[in-house]
Amino acid sequence: MDREVLERFRLGDEAAVKAVYDRFGGPVFALSMSILGEHGLAADATQQTFIKAWRAASTYDAGRSFAPWIYAIARRTAIDLYRKRARVIVSEDVDVVSFPIGLETVWEVFEVRSALDRLPDEERQVIKMSHFDGLTHVEIAERLDIPVGTVKSRSHRAHQRLIEMLKHVEEA
Amino acid sequence: MTTEDSRAQYMASGASEGGESHERLDLIRDVLSTDSTWAEPPPQVADGLLAALAVEAVPGPAVIQQRSGRWALVLAGAGGLVAIAALVLGTMNVIEDEGDNVVAMSGTELEAAALGEAEFGPNEAGWWIRLDVTGLPPAPEGSYYEGWVWSDDGEGVSIGTFHLRGEDTPIVLWSGVPLADYPSIWVTLESEDDGPEASELIVMKGRISQIPEA
Repeated sequence: MDREVLERFRLGDEAAVKAVYDRFGGPVFALSMSILGEHGLAADATQQTFIKAWRAASTYDAGRSFAPWIYAIARRTAIDLYRKRARVIVSEDVDVVSFPIGLETVWEVFEVRSALDRLPDEERQVIKMSHFDGLTHVEIAERLDIPVGTVKSRSHRAHQRLIEMLKHVEEA
Repeated sequence: MTTEDSRAQYMASGASEGGESHERLDLIRDVLSTDSTWAEPPPQVADGLLAALAVEAVPGPAVIQQRSGRWALVLAGAGGLVAIAALVLGTMNVIEDEGDNVVAMSGTELEAAALGEAEFGPNEAGWWIRLDVTGLPPAPEGSYYEGWVWSDDGEGVSIGTFHLRGEDTPIVLWSGVPLADYPSIWVTLESEDDGPEASELIVMKGRISQIPEA
């Protein structure tokens, strides 16, 4: 993230907040979905996350990495929402709230989504069709109406980029 | 083939030439195949965020917290909310608006010293509502204030939260529902341990009598 944007974010600049949202809205929403499992709640958590971040922007040190800072706010916000929701569902006699099932991999979801959002669109598309839709290279080529060789080269480049961007996740 | 190439290949296929496994890469592959990872936030998130920021006139951050659109809808039929609505509409003095998009807000018996105004206006995503209150103490630790708009049918929608513990004035809230249909403005005291529905602790209220065209 551009240091100048982060500095303006720290000062509460609205355009900078928008730029930050454009970069981290996807990872925060993915994180929220993995904890809350429901689009409406995840959207609520995502919006609350950025508003909280904006309110706390003056405490952000622009010299440090932004991703862990917004990740911490997002995780806390989603868990708080999960707990509030869990208490609505659970009987009044029982004040036990279990942990969200997606909590163990929430950091990985945030990091992987962050990496995916930094891929070129055509590479991201191939990754999604391969891993999420479960398509073969031939099937992807047919869907996109491009040669199989092009799919293979995009897939190879995309995975190389992901390996590079996710090295810290792999080594964690 | 470099080590990085082989790991990229493993990430792509889940198989390696030597047959060894890579636990962390398997985890990443699992993450790549889940719905959450690819889920896209609805456009209302950005709209609501920008709408909330747009009404902030002061430089730097201030308090705004919003449950947007469908997320905010809280049905008053649940729990004691119907009773709350009946109590408020039936027995409390309703303060009408003062014109020029300003509503007088008064404290209930719970916070009789509270007094203030709610100024409101349209924006692209709904209505902004700015509260200017005096005499309302900071919310105790573990609790917060929550703004609501209520319909005459007893349906309430959260318009945001604040706590008045030092750094959150002005209070700018946001309604994604039309104020013409939700003309009553309430402020409740909420516990952080409670659910998203309105508590029975209504501390301020006001009512809009005329809604200008958005």
